[in-house]
Amino acid sequence: MMLSCRKFVMGLMFVMLAMILLACNNESASSNEVEGGNDEDQSMDVGEGDQEPFAFTIMANLHTPEVPAETVLEEIEQLTNTEIEIQWVPDNNYEDRLNTAFATNTLPEAVFLKNQSTFIQFRDAIQDGQFWELDPYLDQFENLQKLKDNVQDNTRVDGKLYTLYQGRPLSRQGIIYRKDWADYLGLEAPTTTEEFFEMARAFTEDDPNQSGSDNTFGITDRNDLIYGAFKTIASWFNTPNNWGEREGELLPEFMFDEYFETMEYFKALHENGYINQDFPVTSKVDQQEFFKNGSAGIYIGSMGDVVSIYSDAVTINPDVELDVHNYVEGPTGEYGIWSIPGYGNLVMFPKSSVETEEELLKILGFFDQMMTPEVMNYAYWGIEDVHYEVIDGQALPVDDTALLDREVRPYQAIEVGEAETNGRYEGYFDYEPKAKSEDLFIDNENYLIEDPTVPLYSETFTRDGARLEQIITDATYQYILGQIDQAGFDAAVENWKSQGGQQIIDEFNENYSN
Amino acid sequence: MSSIVVPKLKAKKKLSAVDRKRRRSELWRRIKRNKMIYLMILPGIIYFLVYRYLPMYGLIISFQDYKPYLGITGSPWVGFTHFERLFTSPEFWTIFRNTLILFALQIFVYFPIPIIISLMLNEVRHSLYKRGIQTLIYIPHFMSWVVIVSISFVMLTLDGGIINSVLESLGFTKINFLMSAEWFRPIYIIQVIWREAGWGTIVFLAAITAVDPQLYEAAKIDGANRFRQIWHITLPAIRSVIIVLLILKIGNVLELGFEHVYLLLNASNRNVGEIFDTYVYVAGLQQGQFSYSAAVGFFKGVVGLIMVVIANRLAKAFNEEGIY
Repeated sequence: MMLSCRKFVMGLMFVMLAMILLACNNESASSNEVEGGNDEDQSMDVGEGDQEPFAFTIMANLHTPEVPAETVLEEIEQLTNTEIEIQWVPDNNYEDRLNTAFATNTLPEAVFLKNQSTFIQFRDAIQDGQFWELDPYLDQFENLQKLKDNVQDNTRVDGKLYTLYQGRPLSRQGIIYRKDWADYLGLEAPTTTEEFFEMARAFTEDDPNQSGSDNTFGITDRNDLIYGAFKTIASWFNTPNNWGEREGELLPEFMFDEYFETMEYFKALHENGYINQDFPVTSKVDQQEFFKNGSAGIYIGSMGDVVSIYSDAVTINPDVELDVHNYVEGPTGEYGIWSIPGYGNLVMFPKSSVETEEELLKILGFFDQMMTPEVMNYAYWGIEDVHYEVIDGQALPVDDTALLDREVRPYQAIEVGEAETNGRYEGYFDYEPKAKSEDLFIDNENYLIEDPTVPLYSETFTRDGARLEQIITDATYQYILGQIDQAGFDAAVENWKSQGGQQIIDEFNENYSN
Repeated sequence: MSSIVVPKLKAKKKLSAVDRKRRRSELWRRIKRNKMIYLMILPGIIYFLVYRYLPMYGLIISFQDYKPYLGITGSPWVGFTHFERLFTSPEFWTIFRNTLILFALQIFVYFPIPIIISLMLNEVRHSLYKRGIQTLIYIPHFMSWVVIVSISFVMLTLDGGIINSVLESLGFTKINFLMSAEWFRPIYIIQVIWREAGWGTIVFLAAITAVDPQLYEAAKIDGANRFRQIWHITLPAIRSVIIVLLILKIGNVLELGFEHVYLLLNASNRNVGEIFDTYVYVAGLQQGQFSYSAAVGFFKGVVGLIMVVIANRLAKAFNEEGIY
């Protein structure tokens, strides 16, 4: 009895130990597979010639809640003879994943960066030669050569090119507003900041939805000073875009009077209740919800969003009418709008995962093929007659937005170039405000306020810029909410300067005058 | 003279060597004899080696200017630069103070509540009712902070939140709960209590059931009422459990819930809300300053260690077991 019991315990222990050892083994084996396996596959491909599909991994931003179905990807793979794995990372925590992957040396072969500020963070690593320089190879690729030189120049580091860009209109910023409310109240689209203020007031106080009760407000905004309303309104006041020149010296935007005027303007909007009171902690989803459900009448941001906003709003209220507008003059009588440097995203190729020139050429070869209409139309619009139809040489997506979100839209994140250079269809918009917004993007190009520091380099800005910016962002919100006064804001600016801001100013100016 | 001294010394050395040998062999014999028991703690040891001790190797980067592509072996050494930067940065004292205040709230406000709840539950007569409540109060523990913070957001927002709507209809002015420095700490600790207090009762309830019922009977005969019974029997009986849990809690001093605090932070409460965890996240993962954030994390760990040692000493001073 005793013996059998002991035997049983012993047996149990062995099983447990064996399981642990096995688990350890498996783990290391599988992680080996992830790291080493890919490389092996590729070197095998290289050896066996071009018949075998070339396998590699892309890390890209996911803007939809769910990872997409692979229908479209399969078509692309077939056309380009590749086997692509896409690591989808939610756009919200893209920076973390990017930095974590970089810190642990696990970046995949092709890495999208998200935006200009993440690109600036990687500048150090780029200068250290961690990514492939592309200049020597691009002339082998007919289609990649079509990429616009002036945009590429905005992405050069020490004069060298390391990235392929994903094009974006220079400025898509503007107003989306409730046309039906404005018509009822007899308001035209605002052309000055005063008229805009009046519209926000009327939408709040004059019962634009004829409900008989006070249940609306003017502007819906969110916790984002840049892509929310603040920076666009700052542009109307002719505030510089990030940095501006005063008496020959480059200074950050928040040292300009125009920035301060914008804060005052926002403060007034907030105090009077013309903007959602908790906007500094409101998410983009909630912000749009206020607009869609008829609580707010003005949305400032990318005018192209009017389609998706309308398609949701109309399910709540079938009578809703929207319009878009861009031109709003500030007190100086001039309209201005901030611009991006022509790209929305960039893709880079780390040397740690792309080990040979041969591999790099294959990956560039894939992106070269991507820049043909045949392939790019799949990535951008999906499968013809399933996801879109062609009208007058333009693509009209089907109405089923859920289908598009599930199968097509996410793949727009791996686009390179823009319609002009990669030859994909332009969009055909049967929704009139959307077509108008496309025209206004082009109109905006006449009034651009550019960031003069795009081609410049400041070591301190690369290292501490993001952290320092927090000081100013916080102070700006606190001023708008009335939690600090002008002295408090000035103190924050001094704090910014003393913690490294002054160095940034000096470094940029040194570069600027040269 | 010297000829006498030398052999003496030698003899002593020999003795101690033999002694050591004997002791070691005795240890081996003991291990052999109890090999099953030693085998049983093996998984635990492996766990701690792999997940707790091995990662400490990474702390090296806090003394380096870590560049991922150079790795730990290749990155240049910079000594205490990152620590200097931490201790001289104006944010340091703010973060330190915020961390300690939230910690104090956890110890003084949150910690007693599960004890009180379990004492109260213990007095509930109807066993179905008691078990029902027990189960219900565990539920919040399984909700993620994202859910809890979102629910409070919806309740507290100025733009149609239920609490502000009620305040307004009662004729009070609206309170800006979310965007204010004053409300950050109350909201933080209330959320902690709501989520964890029920779960925290489990251990105390288990300890209470172990109390010998004869003691209560004896106390009743001596004329003790229910409060007296709690005070003189239940509480002393679970005292050692309370103290062990308190020490463990203090050991987690700087684990104030990164997710939770991070979700609550905004422009207006950063001054009172930024703690080491959120600072490490922002500096390290969002801005890519790996070495600096490793230094901050290292410092945090040292503070935690000091607190545990102090707490354990205190426990011993009060004649309690402590945890080591």
